Amino acid sequence: MNDKFPIVTFCGLRFNLCIDLSVLITCIVVFALAFAFSRKPQLRPTKKQNMMEWLMSFTNNIVDAAIPAEDSGNFYLFAFVLFAFIFVSNQLGLLVELIVGGNTWIDSPTANAVVTLGLAMMVLLMSHCYGVKKYGFKGYLKGYIKPMSMLLPINLVEEFTNFMTLGLRLYGNIFAGEVLLMLIANMATSLHLGAIAVMPLEMIWQAFSAFIGSIQAFVFVTLGMVYISSKLQEE
Amino acid sequence: MATALVLGAAQGGLYVGDLLVISISFLILMLCVGKFAWKPVAKMMETRRNKITDDLDNAAKARQRANELADKREKELNNTRTEATQIVSEARQDGEAQRQAIVEQAQVEAKNLKENAQRDAQQAHIDALNSARAEVAQLSVDIASKLIGRELSASDHENLINTYIKDLGESHGTK
Repeated sequence: MNDKFPIVTFCGLRFNLCIDLSVLITCIVVFALAFAFSRKPQLRPTKKQNMMEWLMSFTNNIVDAAIPAEDSGNFYLFAFVLFAFIFVSNQLGLLVELIVGGNTWIDSPTANAVVTLGLAMMVLLMSHCYGVKKYGFKGYLKGYIKPMSMLLPINLVEEFTNFMTLGLRLYGNIFAGEVLLMLIANMATSLHLGAIAVMPLEMIWQAFSAFIGSIQAFVFVTLGMVYISSKLQEE
Repeated sequence: MATALVLGAAQGGLYVGDLLVISISFLILMLCVGKFAWKPVAKMMETRRNKITDDLDNAAKARQRANELADKREKELNNTRTEATQIVSEARQDGEAQRQAIVEQAQVEAKNLKENAQRDAQQAHIDALNSARAEVAQLSVDIASKLIGRELSASDHENLINTYIKDLGESHGTK
């Protein structure tokens, strides 16, 4: 984890190559795993297929817990991919941390606020779209003055805070984990302890980060589904 | 990071490019995973669910049929048993009746035979007596006429014979 990133501007758009490269790697890993686990599905599942089905029913249960049954079919795949993407993103920075020429090139994508806020934006945009789709634009707008019109400002602020908390919770957890990993690694040189001395500490923290990363992926998907369901349900 | 965010905004570039990359790559990932991984596995899960439901239904149906068959068999068995008992008792009654009839018939026949035999015997006895009486009478007449040389009257004759037979019978009876 380093504060310097390779940044290029292209067509007036700003690209942080570290983010883009890491997201690409994450996508490839997620697809490769999902693809490998779902080859030749059979009625009597193989070990790989079991793994895939277990993960699918895990995310399906998250969706079912939040979203009423008549709408839940739309979100199964989204929840699955979202969970897999965030999970792999969270673990990526624990496995690989590539710094070339002072610039970080590969890192956990979710250790960057842009990515997490982007994902949160995606989830919340979806929630608004499905709200409009289900109740019409008028019904959707009415949702903001429920249960009484006095609460309109609070409802508006809530939309914003939902967006911020959803994105920044994930970002904060992963970013803090990576920073601490980097600090522990730096202890080897700054405190003259040597690489071997800090290795146990680093491993402990990596294990803890892996745990945090899994929990945060689950939390992000669960909260995302809750926000979507709040737009789909009459309160 | 927050400073980077502010800096990015200050540079007038915001992170639109990264946002585009993230959302587009996520979308493509979702399509690919959905097409190549999610769909076949979800389809197989659906197939399995249907199969399990079918199997359970079939098992319930088969169990019900087995129960019905068992009940039916039990009932049939009971029917057969009562029927068998009935047949045996009927046969016994028939046998008894037949035995009775045969015995009775035999008795009647035996009685008839006995009666006929008695009657025949009696008849033979009477005939023999009569013929003997007639012959003796004739014989005695012949003897008498030869001895006396004269004809006896029929009535005297008869008296004579009767007395003679009486004497004969008495002499036999004393024996």
